[in-house]
Amino acid sequence: MSEQNTTLRVENVSKHYGEFTAVSDLSFDVKAGRVFGFLGPNGAGKTTTIRMIVGIIAPDEGKIELFGERISNASQNRIGYLPEERGLYKKMKVQDQLRYFAALKDVSQAEADKRIDFWLDRMKLSEWKKKKTTDLSKGMSQKIQFVSTVLHNPDLLILDEPFSGLDPVNVEFMIEVVAELKAQGKTIIFSTHLMSTAERLCDDIILINKSRKVVGGSLREVKEGFGKNLIALRSIGGDAVLEDKSLVSKISEHADEREIELAENADAQNLLKRLIENGATISKFEQIEPSLNAIFIEKVKGI
Amino acid sequence: MKKFLAVVKHEYKKIVLKWTFLLATLLFPVLAAAFAVVPALIFSIKGEPTRIVIVDQTGKITPRIKENLSKEKTAKKVEKSREETLKDLTASRDEQMKNVAEQTGETFNFVEYGADAKSIEQIKRELTGKITDKEIDAYLIVPPNYDAPDAKFEFFSRKAGDIVTNSFLERATNNAVRSQRLADANIEEDKLKDLSRNVDFSKTTINEKGDEKNGEGIFAAAFIIGLMIYITLLIYGQQILAAVIEEKETRIAEILFSSAKPFELMMGKLVGVGLAGLTQLAIWIISALVLVGIGLANMSAAGVDISIPDITPLTVIYFFIFFLLGFFIYATIYALIGSMVTTVQEGGQFAMLPIMFLIIGFYMSFTVIRDPNSNLSFWVSIAPFLAPITMPVRILAETPPFWQIALSILLNGAAIAFLVWLAARVYRVGMLMYGKRATIPEVWKWIRQS
Repeated sequence: MSEQNTTLRVENVSKHYGEFTAVSDLSFDVKAGRVFGFLGPNGAGKTTTIRMIVGIIAPDEGKIELFGERISNASQNRIGYLPEERGLYKKMKVQDQLRYFAALKDVSQAEADKRIDFWLDRMKLSEWKKKKTTDLSKGMSQKIQFVSTVLHNPDLLILDEPFSGLDPVNVEFMIEVVAELKAQGKTIIFSTHLMSTAERLCDDIILINKSRKVVGGSLREVKEGFGKNLIALRSIGGDAVLEDKSLVSKISEHADEREIELAENADAQNLLKRLIENGATISKFEQIEPSLNAIFIEKVKGI
Repeated sequence: MKKFLAVVKHEYKKIVLKWTFLLATLLFPVLAAAFAVVPALIFSIKGEPTRIVIVDQTGKITPRIKENLSKEKTAKKVEKSREETLKDLTASRDEQMKNVAEQTGETFNFVEYGADAKSIEQIKRELTGKITDKEIDAYLIVPPNYDAPDAKFEFFSRKAGDIVTNSFLERATNNAVRSQRLADANIEEDKLKDLSRNVDFSKTTINEKGDEKNGEGIFAAAFIIGLMIYITLLIYGQQILAAVIEEKETRIAEILFSSAKPFELMMGKLVGVGLAGLTQLAIWIISALVLVGIGLANMSAAGVDISIPDITPLTVIYFFIFFLLGFFIYATIYALIGSMVTTVQEGGQFAMLPIMFLIIGFYMSFTVIRDPNSNLSFWVSIAPFLAPITMPVRILAETPPFWQIALSILLNGAAIAFLVWLAARVYRVGMLMYGKRATIPEVWKWIRQS
């Protein structure tokens, strides 16, 4: 059964608003139990795509399958969605809001109360249960929003910029919580601009720009496919070798080391050998992968 | 359905369990009572006694004025006017205020002043001097030719703005002069009083079925009902507006829409808030009925004969039906507005439109009270937007034929169906639009597209 391995399948989906095309012929799969990075600059069509996945709006073309079937009330109950820049009811007690959100996902109140206690404890916010939102700090209310997303024990979590506005300690804490959920077998779609976080968390990514998919696949595949061999080098001498255009295409100077971009078809081992033969003293020679950030900037600029 | 009920429960509790709801529920009867009692209280506060000089060259009028203002006479008058106020529930505010003035029984200190053979100018100069020296507060000059058509009673006072005192003195003077005239013409005063007493003018309305209805009290009750519906619609409409905008502003709408259908969410909100309004109204009406009941018992115990309009259970049911019709009409409009705008301030500007309709309906209810069977009353009591206020008023003033009530319910029901259809279309798109207000052409497109 496909549900075992594919949680979400987006097939040739498009969405237009009048003349404007928000999403154009987009296809991707999200595999069960993995963290899927949904990346792209502002206005790329991320929010529109997410809204189609959670069933707020319908695609004009193509189809979306969740847990092996079309979106329905039942499948909606299995999703936890945390929109970007969301808020809470201002004058309501934390517990009451959470109960309401749980009820809207068909969770009984007794069950909801148990989970509210569990999650508030996990977030170290138990003493705020009876307080109103207006009494909470920004970080606290973001954690409460996160709780409202996971309260109904969803199989698929969609988190849109979940860490914006959190302090570094809390970011680490939330990453830990997300990792726990992943360990429980939840599928997580993670939308962000923060490439460093995405790089840490995601198994698979898709990068979209101007309504279209640019690149997608597992993080490893994407990085390999980027096809740039970079080497961090700290050495004395051997400069003549580096000027060989058949080996090196670009050198950028950093503080105390150089970043070498290998020429096409050049081999890192060959470069190392040549450097040693030329009497260079090497204190660092490290093959580095392109960062997601670099890929993002390159791909988005390149189109 | 389960989610719809969850929304209803949430919206209902959100309003009813707040202390402001309790406050408003208790406050309205208190305010209504205050509205009736406070003016009386204010005017019953006695000022300091007025020191007055009466210059009366004839010497005939002064004793009579003094007598009219004497303690015994005042007490008697107060007693009498109290009785009248009880009977006269529909008396205009102006009249009531005068009555209250009578009740207070102003006090006067008469200051002796030897006018002797001084000229009027000299007297005036001297007395004005006494006023500026604060020896006296006022003086009254009784002309020697008090009976002549052009006779002028001149009154000078430090506090000419004190209407209560002045009108009190004016009445006493008038009565004094009248008594003197009667005495001059050899007419017995008691005889005249007896002959000029008022007839007992008993007002009874006959409706189209030929039933008799006691007219007194109907107007007051109809007015109160109109006011109650008007205020409730206004308050709960604004509640809806604020709640919708909050969900949009905080993007809770996005979470909600990913959990339930927009239509369920919108209707759940309307029904939940509507039930809260109904709860409040029910509390008010029941307490009003109880209060009126107690008041009535007290009055009949005091021997005052008064009747209130007979409010049948059917009237109460109609009343709630029209409240609900009104609520759904206005609440739907407010929900629609809320989903189009981005801030509460912006919403407030758009909300002027439904408020205008409400105000028109409220003012129209006066027309209906005065003549429930006119053509205008017929049209305004079946017209959508206006009927929720005017029809209950009309039913109370004089119950129209059943077909008119049914027609009114039908027309307003149809208006609700149309508005809900419209609002649902705008709501689902508008609630997800951030940053800018939807323009009318945009809204029109949403309505056509879906």
